[in-house]
Amino acid sequence: MKKIAFKTLGCRLNQYETDALASRFHAGSYEVVDFDEQADVYVVNTCTVTNQSDQKSRQTIHQARRRNNDALVVVTGCMANNYKESLLESKSINYVVDNERKSAIYSIIEEHYRGQVPDPEGFDADVFSYETATKTFHTRSMIKIQDGCDNFCTFCIIPKVRGRAVSRPKNEILDNIRQVLGHGFREVVLTGVNIGRYDSEGTNFEQLVESILELPGDFRLRISSIEPDGFSNRFLELFDHPKLTPHLHLCLQSGSEAVLLRMRRMYTAREFRQIAETLRSRYPNFNLTTDIIVGFPGESDDEFAQTVQMAKELRFSHIHTFKYSVRSGTRAERMPAQVSEKIKNQRSEIIRKIAIESKIAYFNSMLGSTQRMLVERITDSHTARGYGEHYIPIRIENAAHLSRNQFVNVRLESIYMAEEPEVIATIID
Amino acid sequence: MKTDNLHQVISIRNLTDSAYVVRMSRRGLQFRAGQHILLGKAGSIHNREYSVYSGENDDFFEVLIKEVDEGLVSKQLKKLKPGEMVQIEGPLGFFTIPAELVNSAKFLFIGTGTGIAPFHSFVKSYPQIDYRLLHGVRFGNEAYDKMDYDAKRHILCTSGDKTGNYHGRVTKWLKENEVSPDTHCYLCGNFNMIHEAFEILEKKGVPPSNVHAEVYF
Repeated sequence: MKKIAFKTLGCRLNQYETDALASRFHAGSYEVVDFDEQADVYVVNTCTVTNQSDQKSRQTIHQARRRNNDALVVVTGCMANNYKESLLESKSINYVVDNERKSAIYSIIEEHYRGQVPDPEGFDADVFSYETATKTFHTRSMIKIQDGCDNFCTFCIIPKVRGRAVSRPKNEILDNIRQVLGHGFREVVLTGVNIGRYDSEGTNFEQLVESILELPGDFRLRISSIEPDGFSNRFLELFDHPKLTPHLHLCLQSGSEAVLLRMRRMYTAREFRQIAETLRSRYPNFNLTTDIIVGFPGESDDEFAQTVQMAKELRFSHIHTFKYSVRSGTRAERMPAQVSEKIKNQRSEIIRKIAIESKIAYFNSMLGSTQRMLVERITDSHTARGYGEHYIPIRIENAAHLSRNQFVNVRLESIYMAEEPEVIATIID
Repeated sequence: MKTDNLHQVISIRNLTDSAYVVRMSRRGLQFRAGQHILLGKAGSIHNREYSVYSGENDDFFEVLIKEVDEGLVSKQLKKLKPGEMVQIEGPLGFFTIPAELVNSAKFLFIGTGTGIAPFHSFVKSYPQIDYRLLHGVRFGNEAYDKMDYDAKRHILCTSGDKTGNYHGRVTKWLKENEVSPDTHCYLCGNFNMIHEAFEILEKKGVPPSNVHAEVYF
């Protein structure tokens, strides 16, 4: 039996696609092994959203080659689209497969082992033709509903590497969800590049979410990363539904109106604040997480101060901070007043500190409340770890009697301080 | 090279020394007024974003371009001759008017320089639309295709001479004049104008959801 290992960099969409690929190989009698192990095939699903992502992707490709000099190394993902020609010249890589043909990787490898020399470009481009991800690396089942983006934010390379926005037909999505629920998954996470812009055959994002919530079964639905534009107040009202988890990763990027305009974001800081206030007034414990870019071209001290103010005010429980990095071919590449690395580092550190304080404050505010935890794993020391509906990371000690993928009602008791803090909970039924 | 995105240049029409309209074959490409395209010479790796200038029902495709001194693509495109090919990606963007509002709402369009382009497309596409157009330029000769608009709805703001309907920037006009809070305001042009206009409109009680912006860089 051939062994195959996967490494995923970047976004949840990549994770979904890796999960689906792993399931396909598993069904095809490959043994899916850890990336650290010796394998016959390594698939590196790359990211190119920042310079750092490029570096990590390149390092991972070299790691794969070092693990086994005779292995097949397949590189796919956004870096494969952005740097296809240079990757094709690399002696470390056997196949470079673009995002549009990522779902064909199983067929490509099979052809290879049948003694043919497959050309990835010869396979059909289809961003939705993935197997149902049953053999996944996650307890939550990610469901791809959309790909690509038409927003063309001035800093972003994604429209170039993921292409124009395209939505998966609603019926395919509903069938996919029924399948994963049938396989025992308890949490479904909607994923895509810009899911709020979902639009297929007259169904918009809110309508799609409503249809999913109407599906029978004991499961919960989580919206992953979403842009604060393109959806209506009706969407916010959907959080009344008990199956929809009270958490959004709502991408802020900057608290400065001027910077948002230069980024060509589709919303204002005022509108973002209004969405947050609407959610918090309706659902007081609602968990908001976000992305912030520091050091966008021309970002002044005052403009950064506005971001700091907003980061503090909106009490995000998690902030993913990106230092702006120039992406070739984007509009921001040609903008004047690029910010120095030194200032980016300083600003990144300021946001990082606020993020930690906000996280602890949010966790503290939730102590004493109950959560329905989905157990994701039981460690060797019998600690159960998982997430509540608010996406708070929870741990229960002495939990050998619990099992993975089980819902359990818990009370949040105290904060477990670590590099990534968690909340210690006790079972209440 | 892909050929399904190639369009033939029909004409180049100079409006001023630096501003010109490129008319291209449509080839059935559908768009909604207010959207933009990525346009470049056929075979070139360089392209730029331009709002569509023509109407949704025109047989051709037009964009309004200002030649930029240190620019690359705007200079290349100006030298095009009828019959030459350009490549188009798109249409893209959400700077559009919801169909249900076209005939029922009132609009204030505010554009600076070539930022008038999407409004030209709106007016050509929706002849019945209830609008006021505020066009900010330095000099009166930059009132691109002024005759295409209803004179009673078109307010030319000139900051460099007094040949317009109003002497001063569009933001000054905005401060001095009434804007009903139920107006749908569309802003297109340079960053500073949009940033300032947002604040003025907010002070006049126009809700953020009624203000839409397309920034030109």
